Amino acid sequence: MASQKIVLPGETIGSDVLPIPSNPNLPLKLGPGLRHAPPSTITATIAGPLCIDQKKNAIWVESNSGRYIPQPNDLIIATVHHSSTDFYSCSITPYTTYAQLPQLAFEGATKKTRPQLNSGSLIYARVLTASKHTDPEIVCYNPSTGKSEGMGELKGGMVFDVSMGMARRLLMAKQREDGGVAVLEEIAEKVAFEIAVGRNGKVWVKSGGVKETLLVGRALQEADVLGLTVEEQVKLVRKMIR
Amino acid sequence: MTSITLSTIHRADGSATFTGNGYAVIATVNGPIDVQRRDELPEEAAIDVTVRPAGGVGGVRERHLESIVQKTLRHVVLVSAHPRTLIQVTLQIVASQEDHLNYGSLPQTSPYIPILPALLQASILALLSASIPLLMTLTSTLIAVKESGGLAPCPSAQDLRAATSIHALAFSSYGDLLVVESEGHFTSEKWEEVCTRAWSICHGEEEEESGSDDVSMGSQGGARLENVLRDAVRQKVVNEDKWKQSPLITAT
Repeated sequence: MASQKIVLPGETIGSDVLPIPSNPNLPLKLGPGLRHAPPSTITATIAGPLCIDQKKNAIWVESNSGRYIPQPNDLIIATVHHSSTDFYSCSITPYTTYAQLPQLAFEGATKKTRPQLNSGSLIYARVLTASKHTDPEIVCYNPSTGKSEGMGELKGGMVFDVSMGMARRLLMAKQREDGGVAVLEEIAEKVAFEIAVGRNGKVWVKSGGVKETLLVGRALQEADVLGLTVEEQVKLVRKMIR
Repeated sequence: MTSITLSTIHRADGSATFTGNGYAVIATVNGPIDVQRRDELPEEAAIDVTVRPAGGVGGVRERHLESIVQKTLRHVVLVSAHPRTLIQVTLQIVASQEDHLNYGSLPQTSPYIPILPALLQASILALLSASIPLLMTLTSTLIAVKESGGLAPCPSAQDLRAATSIHALAFSSYGDLLVVESEGHFTSEKWEEVCTRAWSICHGEEEEESGSDDVSMGSQGGARLENVLRDAVRQKVVNEDKWKQSPLITAT
């Protein structure tokens, strides 16, 4: 990712830019923002920097803005809108079709023992299926293990909006090294809190009191909006905690 | 002269401000969102355009502008990517040259063509900001033909009033003509000349300053509109990647 090439919609990605796979059997992966027109034309559909991962033989266009489009396996924070006999209808982003959450898609849920969710309650869920032609389906357990793995209803706390790019950075395995987010680690040294990050640009924070919860949320939002580097984030947190 | 800011309105999915040639337009895009049943298209996204004038409520003129912008955007947006959804484009005119022109008390009597390039530019920028998948980008410009027969690109209010004809043209990023709206008396040869000139403003190479009878040519600055668009996107990317400038990241 040394050279950041910016593409605009309609631009053709030349074959000289494409990553060279180490293994010729490895297929080229096209990420978001790119479109393949047979036989071998690749055009960009959104504007942004073109990113290339040589190891995975993948190419995509990064974007930080716009509305969240559900993708399978994304972790999201959704609001229950209403419930029907078999499903809860949940809203992932405002003014879009509701995602279907089966009432039995929780850890250890049976017909008799299933969580009762009221409209307005928050859930941390995983997108099971998402396609442009159907409503997305979300679940609150891992279908292969049957365990909740942290998903389910989020009780108490507050939700904060962050940008899509920030949500992605927070969900990285190495938050500080890859994502450049040091806010949470810094605050955690002084204040205990629980956090859940949704890929749809929502962050749920719960801690001992309102003051602490707001501190975490506001610090995250500020780091996001101002584009603070790790050092600046450390400084910001020290200032806010004092 | 033209100034562009992307993502000015943070509650919308995408937004942009376009200022140029005496016009200022704020565009916002929301989408893909739920569409009303009667507007739903089974295989493509519906596009809804609203134009709001700088003062008062919209009338026939605004409805006509909406329909031109809507028909253009339908071919620019990759509508098949989000079927049965709505992409909502709102264009708020903030400043317009007509304020200085006296066309009578009714705003409807002023020509609709001069504002069109600003509307098209603002809407495409907002779509870029909203990361809506597009087939191409577009650039648009306004040219007035003077009484002397010379061309005035980016005409001022006085130029417009004195012009024998005015033309708004938009080109896709592939260089194809997308929109042409003309008003006044002109010959087909003159139109060809206008079209060639507009193309070079939007796409052409930095050509020699041939405008012998153009007063306003200097203010054009010679910057191709396509480059202006790219610079705006680059500026946005730089802003978003500010956090990466940490030495901790570059070391790894």
